[in-house]
Amino acid sequence: MKGKISIIFFMFVLSLLLVACSDSDETGGESSSGGDGNSEEKVTLDFWVFGQFGFDGLVEKYNEENPNVEVNLQLQESEDMHNNLFTSLSAGSGAPDISMIEIAYIPQFREAQDHFYNLYDYGADDVKNNFLDWAWKNAESPEGDYMIALPTDIGPTAMYYRTDIFEEAGLPSNPDEVAELISTWDDYVEVARTIKSETGTNITDSPELLFNAVRDQAPEQYFNEDNELIIETSPYVKEAYDFATGLIQEGLVGQNELWTPEWGNAMSEGTSATLLAASWMVGRVKENAPDAAGNWAITTLPEGAGNWGGSFISIPKQSEYPEEAYEFISWLTSPEQLLEAFNVAGIFPSTPGVYEDEDFLSKSDEYFSGTKTASVFADAAQKVEPVFIGKDTPIVHNELVTALINVASADGDPEEEWNNAVERIKDQLARN
Amino acid sequence: MGNKGDYSVIKTTINTNSSAQIKTKRYFSESFKESFVGYLYVSPFFILFGIFGLFPILFSFYLGFQKWNGLNEMEFVGLNNYKLIYSDPVFWKAIYNTIIIGFLGCFPILVFSIILAFILNSAFVRLKSIFRVSLFMPYVTSTVAVAIVFGVIFSNMEFGIANLTFSWFGFEPIKWQVGEWAVKIAIACMVLWRWVGYNVIIFIAGLQSIPIELYEAATIDGATTRQQLFYITVPLLKPVIIFTVFLSTVGSLQLFTEPLIFLGRNAREEGITAVLYLWREAFNNMAFGTASAAAVTLFFIIIIVSFINYLITNRISS
Repeated sequence: MKGKISIIFFMFVLSLLLVACSDSDETGGESSSGGDGNSEEKVTLDFWVFGQFGFDGLVEKYNEENPNVEVNLQLQESEDMHNNLFTSLSAGSGAPDISMIEIAYIPQFREAQDHFYNLYDYGADDVKNNFLDWAWKNAESPEGDYMIALPTDIGPTAMYYRTDIFEEAGLPSNPDEVAELISTWDDYVEVARTIKSETGTNITDSPELLFNAVRDQAPEQYFNEDNELIIETSPYVKEAYDFATGLIQEGLVGQNELWTPEWGNAMSEGTSATLLAASWMVGRVKENAPDAAGNWAITTLPEGAGNWGGSFISIPKQSEYPEEAYEFISWLTSPEQLLEAFNVAGIFPSTPGVYEDEDFLSKSDEYFSGTKTASVFADAAQKVEPVFIGKDTPIVHNELVTALINVASADGDPEEEWNNAVERIKDQLARN
Repeated sequence: MGNKGDYSVIKTTINTNSSAQIKTKRYFSESFKESFVGYLYVSPFFILFGIFGLFPILFSFYLGFQKWNGLNEMEFVGLNNYKLIYSDPVFWKAIYNTIIIGFLGCFPILVFSIILAFILNSAFVRLKSIFRVSLFMPYVTSTVAVAIVFGVIFSNMEFGIANLTFSWFGFEPIKWQVGEWAVKIAIACMVLWRWVGYNVIIFIAGLQSIPIELYEAATIDGATTRQQLFYITVPLLKPVIIFTVFLSTVGSLQLFTEPLIFLGRNAREEGITAVLYLWREAFNNMAFGTASAAAVTLFFIIIIVSFINYLITNRISS
């Protein structure tokens, strides 16, 4: 008898499950039809973010001011969030109404623009002038008619340097004087030699960042707007590579790879004089070198600036409420809200309107010897040139970094390594 | 079990359509119903396997003929994906690396874990459970922590732990992250460290099934510990050894986590393995077609190797 009861129970549960499944389908259908016309119904917008952007308070504020909208902030780890977004777009269901996208993933999603609403259809033209031109162009189709995401934060690059090492080498250590001392990359090499001979310290720690810093100042990168590889014809990348390998071969550059424990350790030990990095590195330096307060300062890079990192905010096509979603994201990316986010979480705003704010500009950091950090990075942000970043950029970049490491650590010949890297890049690009 | 009446109750809960009920009543025989219930009981596994196991396998075969970046439309390209990877020297390098690292990793694992299991199972070790747990610990350690620790041990720098230790014996510092053999040895060490404990547990289970009387008899006959190991333990452990060899072979062909965390996203050629290669194709290069082609190739390689393994073990055990 017991067996029969359990079978009946199992069947009961099974039928409940089936009913539950079919039921949710129906309600799903209803709410979608409700979203079109009925404005009294409360709209819930799922909003995926992948880090601390300081949006929690802003979302709360928006929900209070707009009683018919409920923005539901969902925080995930960066790689997970992008994988989830990718999978849900590919599968055709499960994507949120609004999603942040990190700049490195933008080219890939821009190639699949049909999975996102074209923000130009919702009035993105009106807010375009709020943003830095180059930041805007990152998320726009090369033709300029399709915009998948609004920029939130950016990562303008500058030169972090050790004041103690500069002083030890008999060089000036005040940000303005250092900027004057190193106003070209040739000056940078000169200073590198002086520091090496006076103190024995390397000018910088990571071959990759040195290469990136020079590369990011150029108007072209690895691909042209038709996604064709141009590193063999365009001079800029090769120049950056030659510059980096030249310094490496002179023995002026450390060998640490980015993000390794040794690399972090080198920040606190002071085993390199400069760090060419973006605005968000401020937090990383403090974390890695809590005891080095006052030994670091920040000034502008020679010959311009670049961008490393940043994020965007998009509306996947699966959302049923693009209008409400757009209203929210255009509000969130307005200069006032981004300034608020900067004050809370330190994300650097993509809206130059903020850069005129007195409080913003006068922000200084005792850790960095009182450098007016916001002002340095605002300067840098306005110097960045718009660059087209192709969807296969990671392939090219990984192979060039491998070449740089081979030169730095395995005594590779720069020319040979370059040619091998180009060969490997072409092999991999043949698949796409 | 049960009479007809009971089953009709069940059926009404499934089908509300009464005509269908009458039809099924006539259609299904008593024995079918009995076995149907049996199938129902085992169905959860097969449903889950179908969704998460079988479907992805079949889909990989299908994807192998497509060009797909995951977001845009698929495009049928025939055998082009296979042509691309077979003409790619890195693919063959990956297969070669997999086999070399497999040997470097597996062989010491088996030897170490038999010896360790034998010691842990013997009477003269105290605090056995502490040793067993600590041996098993690496297996459950977070891979991120492992990556950091091994990154520090096998650092290129002179002050990396491995290089520092070597320097006491007068060796030159080794470029662990870029050297052809250094990378492989470093990865094999990681494999060894992570998997020894797992195998020790299996061997201990095997050892405990060996009757203690055999050892007692051997001790009375004056056999040394070493003789006991070679003439009692190893022969009686043969089925377990065959099992672990089998697992290790398949496992080493699928080696992925250790090289990934050691090499990072760059997946340098010195240490790239077959699975890392296909992972890089799919999730770095967004070429799911070639990744699937590599997966299918690996699938057949594993089948062949397993078959050879099977033939050899059959010969040994018969």
